[in-house]
Amino acid sequence: MANTEFYIDNDEQTILIIMTSGPSTPSRCATPFFLGSILAAMDSDVSIFFTMEGVLLAKKGISDDLVAMEGGKKIIDFMHDAKEAGVKLYACSPAMPGYKIDHAEDVIDEIDEIVGGGVLADLILEADKVITF
Amino acid sequence: MTECNGCEFKPELYYDDEFQIWVSKEEDGKLKVGMTDLSQSIAGKIMHVRVRKPGTKRAVGRPVATVESAKWAGPIPNFINCVIDTGNEKVLENPKLLNIDPYGAWIAVVTPELPVEEALAVFLTGEEARKGYCQRAYDDDIQCERLSL
Repeated sequence: MANTEFYIDNDEQTILIIMTSGPSTPSRCATPFFLGSILAAMDSDVSIFFTMEGVLLAKKGISDDLVAMEGGKKIIDFMHDAKEAGVKLYACSPAMPGYKIDHAEDVIDEIDEIVGGGVLADLILEADKVITF
Repeated sequence: MTECNGCEFKPELYYDDEFQIWVSKEEDGKLKVGMTDLSQSIAGKIMHVRVRKPGTKRAVGRPVATVESAKWAGPIPNFINCVIDTGNEKVLENPKLLNIDPYGAWIAVVTPELPVEEALAVFLTGEEARKGYCQRAYDDDIQCERLSL
């Protein structure tokens, strides 16, 4: 094996990405999904948890029109790639009313679960790595 | 050449039911794995490919490799229990080859746990595969594009 950099040899890990960025900082909204896709493709069990302004990405109509860079791919498509790779998406219910997300019907279908802060606490405690964007 | 929406199809290869990867039989009971024209077009210019370390066992659902372009990252999915034999170092060093010649630029060779014919039973091939491949190109409106050398 000449070039070890080309070969993957990691252990399986549980990774939690806490997504607090939202539409006010679009340039921060693509990379977490991109990274999540790679980690999932490398056998990690990846969850992305939307809280604070991040919950707005889970609101219908927001991520469909949002791009991180001019001319770039839509954030919803980055989310689809992540889900395709096996990433689970959670939205934080206590953060929703403050961002005028009043009903579960306002949330995009891509979200696997709408959950409370206790689940976030569990995910943090169970994760091998926690990353916040 | 058989194609749909400019996406090349090779009837002699084996495909998963979403036509993400192709598989071909090698003479020594091994299988070569690569990306389809559909997949390389969706990914765009590929910048990095990494293969699981040779010798590692991969169960169904455990990716063989990871692929990154500027706008897409994801797995080369795996549909059979197998052991990674080798990665294609030409492709690992120059991932753009996947965009230039997706059916020539294989990514990895694997040894299936089952005899080859049994392992290949989970894949589609020939006319059945062509129909599904074209359907996906049309349904998802995928127009294939190749990079030139």
